[in-house]
Amino acid sequence: MTGSYPALSQTSSGEPLQPVALVDLLDRLLGAGVVISGDLTISLAGVDLVQVRLHALITSVRAEMVPE
Amino acid sequence: MSETGLYCYAITRGLDPAALEGSAGIAGAPLRLVEHGGLEAVVSEVDLAEFGEEGLRRNLEDLGWLESVATTHDAVARLASEQVPTAPLRLATVFLGADSVRARLGEWHDAASRALDRIEGRGEWSVKAYVDVDAQETPAAEQEPAEEMGAGRAYLLKRRAATQRREASAQAGAELAEEIHAALAGGTVLSRRLAPQDRRLTGHTGEMVLNGTYLVDASGVAAFKDLVARLASEHPRVRLEVGGPWPPYTFASLDPQ
Repeated sequence: MTGSYPALSQTSSGEPLQPVALVDLLDRLLGAGVVISGDLTISLAGVDLVQVRLHALITSVRAEMVPE
Repeated sequence: MSETGLYCYAITRGLDPAALEGSAGIAGAPLRLVEHGGLEAVVSEVDLAEFGEEGLRRNLEDLGWLESVATTHDAVARLASEQVPTAPLRLATVFLGADSVRARLGEWHDAASRALDRIEGRGEWSVKAYVDVDAQETPAAEQEPAEEMGAGRAYLLKRRAATQRREASAQAGAELAEEIHAALAGGTVLSRRLAPQDRRLTGHTGEMVLNGTYLVDASGVAAFKDLVARLASEHPRVRLEVGGPWPPYTFASLDPQ
């Protein structure tokens, strides 16, 4: 699923984030922030979010760098 | 939409619902507040097919999905944090209903209040330090011995010299990072070092030796930036990058004290 959600009108520039900005954001959103167990995020405790993030990002970076 | 849940972006204190008017959350769903005990949770409805356990596992691996959710999450946290003390939640905290949200707000009330006290009137700023590893190397002398000794030996010597240089350079980089971080931490409320970012992800040049994040009082931002500029001029080999303010992601955690 690749949803493309409208960001808030106040802050949306319509431009995709630069990779560095996305990494900065994920550094904080996945690594920090208040951890309150929601009804569903409890089940995510077993997922290593850092691995998820790196896997997703490296896959994407490689896809961009390697033409085939 | 089939079954829905409530995606929770942040906990706030004193946010006016009117502040959310005209703004949308994930998938364009309207933002609203769930209140309990003087605190509010900023939420919007999400599809549980997408944000349920299975959906989350699948979608967190999808960079496009992750980016759009992270960007929206950040935008909502910013909107709130520009107005009232705000403790942003981690990505993808989903509740089955408003009653669950209220129950959790009650449970975490004291810890959340302490976190909000801690970050009120303050913002999170990042400072990254890069050193250009190649610039420290002085390769002038290293190619000469090749004519006098065997090529194999020359190669090994060259390799060893390069390794030693890298080690010395990494050591120097680590010391520099520590010095800069200590100077910045001294002038800020709270500080933390995040893991340096992988160049494969960011495409930055040089070696990131510091990925620091600092909680800075609103009245101290100018002084903080001056300090960064001064450190940059004192250490010409280092490139410093300052970013912010972020919603206080790193410093609003609920420590159970």
